Amino acid sequence: MTAVEPRAAAGTREQLVRALTGLGSLQARDGGAVTVRIPAGALEQAAHAAAGTSGVRLADMFAADGDVTVLRLVWAYETDKPGYIITESEIEGEEYPPLSDIAPAAFVEECEIYEQFGIRPAGGKPLNRLMLPPHAGTELPTLGHEPSRPPEEVHAPYTVGGQAFEFPFGPVRQVGVESLYYGLVTSGEEVVDLYLFTWHKHRGVEWRLRGKTVSEAIFLAERAEGLSAVAVGWAFAAAAEAALGIAPAPAALRTRAVALELERLYNHAAATAALCQATGLSVGQAAAEIALERLLRVNAASFGHRYLFGVVEPGGVSRAPDADALRRELPGAYDELRRTTDALLGTNSFVDRLEACGILTAEQARRLGLVGPVARATGLATDARLAAAAGPYADHPVNVITAAGGDVFARFQVMLGETAESVRLIRQFLDEGTGADRTLVPPRASTGLGWAESSRGEVLAWVALDSGGRITRARLRPGSARNWRGFDDACRSQNVFTDIPIIEASFWLTVAGMAR
Amino acid sequence: MPLWFARGLRRGVVTTRYPARPDGSAVALPTPPAFRPLLLTREIVDRMIAQCPGTALSRAADTLVFDVGSCTACGRCARVAPHAVTPSGEFELAATTRSALIKMVPILGERR
Amino acid sequence: MTPGPDEATTAERLRAQIAAQFGRSLHIRTLDTGSCAVCEQEIRLLSAPHYDLHRLGFFFTPAPRHADLLLVAGPMVRAFEVAARKAYEAMPGPKVVVATGACALGGVYQADPFMHGEVEAVLPVDVWIPGCPPSPLALLHGLSVAVGRLAEKVPGLAFVADENGGGA
Repeated sequence: MTAVEPRAAAGTREQLVRALTGLGSLQARDGGAVTVRIPAGALEQAAHAAAGTSGVRLADMFAADGDVTVLRLVWAYETDKPGYIITESEIEGEEYPPLSDIAPAAFVEECEIYEQFGIRPAGGKPLNRLMLPPHAGTELPTLGHEPSRPPEEVHAPYTVGGQAFEFPFGPVRQVGVESLYYGLVTSGEEVVDLYLFTWHKHRGVEWRLRGKTVSEAIFLAERAEGLSAVAVGWAFAAAAEAALGIAPAPAALRTRAVALELERLYNHAAATAALCQATGLSVGQAAAEIALERLLRVNAASFGHRYLFGVVEPGGVSRAPDADALRRELPGAYDELRRTTDALLGTNSFVDRLEACGILTAEQARRLGLVGPVARATGLATDARLAAAAGPYADHPVNVITAAGGDVFARFQVMLGETAESVRLIRQFLDEGTGADRTLVPPRASTGLGWAESSRGEVLAWVALDSGGRITRARLRPGSARNWRGFDDACRSQNVFTDIPIIEASFWLTVAGMAR
Repeated sequence: MPLWFARGLRRGVVTTRYPARPDGSAVALPTPPAFRPLLLTREIVDRMIAQCPGTALSRAADTLVFDVGSCTACGRCARVAPHAVTPSGEFELAATTRSALIKMVPILGERR
Repeated sequence: MTPGPDEATTAERLRAQIAAQFGRSLHIRTLDTGSCAVCEQEIRLLSAPHYDLHRLGFFFTPAPRHADLLLVAGPMVRAFEVAARKAYEAMPGPKVVVATGACALGGVYQADPFMHGEVEAVLPVDVWIPGCPPSPLALLHGLSVAVGRLAEKVPGLAFVADENGGGA
């Protein structure tokens, strides 16, 4: 089940950094992130260099406003001392090089940047609506400048003997799920195309964080995607810490890691319950929900909150876990989950529904820059916990679980392997000792990148602080914001309507993480 | 399917009897704070208001106005004044009027 | 600030009406107006074995025509307003709106260009359930209050601690 990507020759990361620095100038180097300033004229060449290097993936792209709009690309370097390379370029006019032609993983971000900053890739490629509702005028603030023309609606052209029709579904959907609008293109049963609109829930979190201190902002940041509160909170806190030069105490970082693995555990249990519900296996769903409830109670017993809100703080953590309660309660809760999932693996009618459903290939995952179990189920060994230069995951390396096949069953297998790994890691962190420290330093004008591996994949955060320590630009990129673009492809590969909820459960994303 | 049927029977009943009987798991839930008026001063209350990430706390002269409906039980006010704040232990907070969730707490500590 | 006399009489009348009409069984439709996704997870657990809302005569329904109660989470993002009104108007009367969670009650976000900041800005709310998120137990309590099966507790709570540290 475990496949490992072949490692590139040692020193390739440095070669890429040198190549990029040759096109521009090195700005900063801290922890696992290198920032290189690239003049706009050399950006296309830089993108080719990065996208063409084996083991490099475009992890995020965003802009920031100032005297001039600055465009930043975050490249994840995944072999030989994994880390991140940020290229930043000042964009003077309305256009920048057509980056999604070079790295298709940039397309959704190009749409977002156009809506928020009014700059677009050269070449006139149509951009889709993302965060702004169709009826929004000037009443919705942007992070920069409004686009000169509203975005168009362009989706994959479809023909099925002239019989296909478009079926809008949502945003209010079935019971107890988030609002989400599907544009389903179908010839009756088969999914010809599926596109999503998330603007109904767009809350403008990045806009709202401006002017706040990082201590004020973490409350909203962890609620950007509440089911990944620890991961998003950690990435955001780590971005502020990188900016200010804070190294939280090792015991505090182990506390964070315990919380992060507990978050992974309960999310995978919830995904299991959702898979059972989607396949109509009510008893399996009930059994998985019993395990999920027990895991949430373990969270409450150890950290005082069922969803682990309020644990991560900039500089450290607010409290240490109740280690005795955790050691006492977790084995039984995990056992409950394990017995349920073992029984599920032995239930043919369940497994049959998952196999060959919602297939994504490794090439699709790589091209779209997917992360988390969705990517690992195609065989890609990508995991943000590997990019730890120091800290609990450097001291206790993670066994990255991958699978082949890229279908729903492969994603389920990856999640199961990860739950066992999470329990193992929690034991190790507790044995080494957890603490409740916060390290604070005087504020200064600075920028920094932070990351964490949520249950749904890599979370990235980037902050720019002024001299008073207040946020001038906060970028939050939860795993969901990366992976929803793979959902369309997964649903399109020879699936029917009833497969859609199964595929959605196997992705286990949130709309909130996209519409933050 | 016999596998699942047998599993279910063996597992037994986990269902709560709430609300007919109290549920023991409630003690581990985070709850809104209760305040000690004799240990509140204007200065302490103003510091708590500054730390509250939402709109749960405000002050009108010598009264702490506590909006339970806006409270997320984050605990920041308790960290400002650990002796003046304690968990209320109350989770049955549903109200049929919004005003029933606004509480007035007198500030009776010594003025500085 | 306790409810005024008019408010209290109306509330009492509504409770009696609801108890008469919804006493046996109640069908619940859920609505997400922009939540962080955690309130929905607690709501889903209402039908899980630990909580089993069915034993209390509560049922979930995706069909607005069958629904008696609209359980609303999230801070009412403005872009969602049309969908929220449609969901409410699609439900035949009598109907009850329950706002759940600090976001829905106005505690997390204030009114700004993106959102109203509370459900009550758009829909008439009958019951408010505090929490972030409200746990399934708190939701069961709130639903029981909404159908008049339980009396509310919070009007009688002062959130003042006594010398021994007890709450209420």
